[in-house]
Amino acid sequence: MSMSTEAMAPGGGWRRYFTWNTDHKVIGVQYLVTTFCFFLIGGLLAMLVRAELAQPGPDFLNGTEFNRFLTNHGSVMLFLWIIPVLAGFGNYLVPLMIGSRDMAFPNMNALSYWLIPPAGLIMLASFFVGAAEAGWTAYAPLSIQTPVGQTLWAVSVMILGTSSLLGAVNFVTTVFTMRAEGMTFWRLPLFVWGMLATSLLVLLATPVLTAGLVLIAMDRMAGTLFFSASNGGDPILWQNMFWFYSHPAVYIMVLPAMGIVSEVYPVFSRKPIFGYKAIAMSSMAISILGLTVWAHHMFTSGMDPRLRIPYMISSMIIAVPTGIKIFSWLATIWDGKIRFTTPMLFALGFISMFLIGGITGIFLAAIPIDLHVHDTYFVVAHLHFVLFGGSVSAVYAGLYYWFPKITGRMYDERLGKVHFVANFVGTNLTYLPMFLAGLLGMPRRVSDYSPEFTTLNLLATLGAFLLGTSALPFIYNAVVSWVSGPKAAANPWRALTLEWQTDSPPPAENFHQLPVVSSGPYDYGRPLAVPGQAQAVPAAGD
Amino acid sequence: MYEATQSADEAGMFAAGRRLGLDHLKLGMWLFLASEVMFFGGLISAFLHFKINNPSPESAFLDVVLVGLNTFVLLTSSLTVVLGLAAIQRGDRRGLIGYLAATILLGTAFLVGQANEFALLYRHGISLSSSLFGSSFFTLTGFHGLHVFVGICWALSTLFKAVRSGYSQGSYLGVEVFGLYWHFVDIVWIILFTLIYLI
Amino acid sequence: MQMDTRSPSKPRAGIRTYLVVFLGLAVITGVEIGLATVGLSRSFRAPIFVVLSLAKASLVAAFYMHLRSDSRFFTAIFVTPVVLILAVAVLFVIA
Repeated sequence: MSMSTEAMAPGGGWRRYFTWNTDHKVIGVQYLVTTFCFFLIGGLLAMLVRAELAQPGPDFLNGTEFNRFLTNHGSVMLFLWIIPVLAGFGNYLVPLMIGSRDMAFPNMNALSYWLIPPAGLIMLASFFVGAAEAGWTAYAPLSIQTPVGQTLWAVSVMILGTSSLLGAVNFVTTVFTMRAEGMTFWRLPLFVWGMLATSLLVLLATPVLTAGLVLIAMDRMAGTLFFSASNGGDPILWQNMFWFYSHPAVYIMVLPAMGIVSEVYPVFSRKPIFGYKAIAMSSMAISILGLTVWAHHMFTSGMDPRLRIPYMISSMIIAVPTGIKIFSWLATIWDGKIRFTTPMLFALGFISMFLIGGITGIFLAAIPIDLHVHDTYFVVAHLHFVLFGGSVSAVYAGLYYWFPKITGRMYDERLGKVHFVANFVGTNLTYLPMFLAGLLGMPRRVSDYSPEFTTLNLLATLGAFLLGTSALPFIYNAVVSWVSGPKAAANPWRALTLEWQTDSPPPAENFHQLPVVSSGPYDYGRPLAVPGQAQAVPAAGD
Repeated sequence: MYEATQSADEAGMFAAGRRLGLDHLKLGMWLFLASEVMFFGGLISAFLHFKINNPSPESAFLDVVLVGLNTFVLLTSSLTVVLGLAAIQRGDRRGLIGYLAATILLGTAFLVGQANEFALLYRHGISLSSSLFGSSFFTLTGFHGLHVFVGICWALSTLFKAVRSGYSQGSYLGVEVFGLYWHFVDIVWIILFTLIYLI
Repeated sequence: MQMDTRSPSKPRAGIRTYLVVFLGLAVITGVEIGLATVGLSRSFRAPIFVVLSLAKASLVAAFYMHLRSDSRFFTAIFVTPVVLILAVAVLFVIA
């Protein structure tokens, strides 16, 4: 059945992005733009840190200021950028990809978004009262003793956790109850599978962090003794509660990203995805296994040495489903008709950078190695390869890929390529030296270091500033193209997933006619008119 | 005509869920309750960590009989909730109102009983900051009490809607979803009572 | 616009069932209070109390929350975090 034309008009102008709007597409854009602003702030904090670290000895920051910039760099990047930006993609894409008109709970969806700006302001406002300085990991007892900004930090993270949790409830309910006719679970795009696997982790892990943050807040504000060792409290308990969430959190930060690149590879290789079920099931496996590995962050905490072994084993096993995905992606691209568009370049960058990060993760899982490199720059390099080289590359791939769908306009391809090259070079220049520094013994979270690490730090700082600069062509491209770029067709990439079978940008109700699905989302290179295997009904205006 | 089309389309919106036997509001509530299991589980884990590794003689001041009676009160409130649901399922609006009112009274009685227990312990010098036992006891039971309070507010809101004839024999989902939350809070108390008072 | 919320295949419990379940809950609670005040050794009582409380929780979940008559998926959603948190609690206590 069709809707009246008024309901279909996508208008409303830019002002609606500053209001309480229940349209998942508006909310999605609100997420993407807001989180990108926090990305820039987190990046600025990083460049301040790297500027201080370019040379040994104090330059312009004292130890406390350094710790505050460092702590908030990590916290902003993780809680205000990478986790919510992927939720933003989920918000925009999931209803479209499953063929529904919106999410299951549109008002709760708006709430999930609107919790973010105040939480972000609270975290940044902490700089006026003594920002959090105990690292993003906020280990007790230091985090109980630091000034008031640490409490603001805890409150901010609790609010963001709530936002994330409500989002997960929405995603799972939407996928289970609102799929279009014919959209079986085995026809879901892999990005949706990624969001499902992510939501499982958000639902199960986030509340434990919330409980831990409650205990921290109570120790700080109500005089409770949970983490006060001299009164019988136990700082290790905080580490357990923190990492029980924060390890799954890194899968929360990567599973949707893997979903994004799973969408990009088949389109720009003009080949079906290799191992669809393997990739989908590997996402769920990573999710479930991800709940069992957290204490590998605590190998040097003084925990019972025998207890460390199962965590080492599970941390290594989780490499298997990850490897299955990587091989499946490579097999997808293999012998394909590859188009090196900007999204594809970033997706290829993802696979190479994530591989480096992932393999070094397996090194870290080995207890004997971890004992030497824990809390050194080796870990810093590892985490930035997976999070920046990995997830952020995938985010950029997604931003370029879906730019025409979201804005109805095409970005400038040359600027995109310039951005990619600067980003790729910058990433490697910044983080490769850190592996070496860590192996040679440079600790992390230090504002000063022994002079033998100077060259490596200088290289990393140069890379960081290159990265900072590389954001400029992207911002320029995004803004100018959105305002006055050439109008985009409904399906400029000739992709098969449902979001491309409607206008760019989609009408308010997503589809003029709800699609009826009769084939999978990656049947590239296969003849169209095969009996019983017709494609999804395309919208008018394709 | 347009409305019929729109509501038919709305009905179609959740067709996939209906085919799986999943109402979207109930599914959403169950997913939320799963996260609440993890939240209370986190607090309970902390409580048990200290109870087992640092047992305290202060637990002798816990009043098992008084709080046992209080447990009985909360269990009764679960009964009244489910009887209220059964009432509206057969179209008995007044029955629903009566049972919701009873639930609110019983829930309030539970909170009064808890306040009593808190005051008793406080008179023995046990507070949030007096000892680790105090910290973990009051935090865990405090958050449970907070959840009961939220439940009472929700029950009131459900009651008001019932008075305004917002529910009927064919339309009682809101009552059921409220019930899921209330029963969950009761289950949490069942576990808490055992771990704090009995073991 | 409300949909019928009941699963079409399984009939729901009636009032009599709710009352019988309540009786069970009340009796178990009485037994618990009794055992607690009698003064048996703590380590002997603990497993009994755990079993009794799980029984009460299961009764409420199965009958009052209608897990028995609704989609099995709801049961899975509820049981999964319970099992997980049991393991987590053990690990948090011994670590």
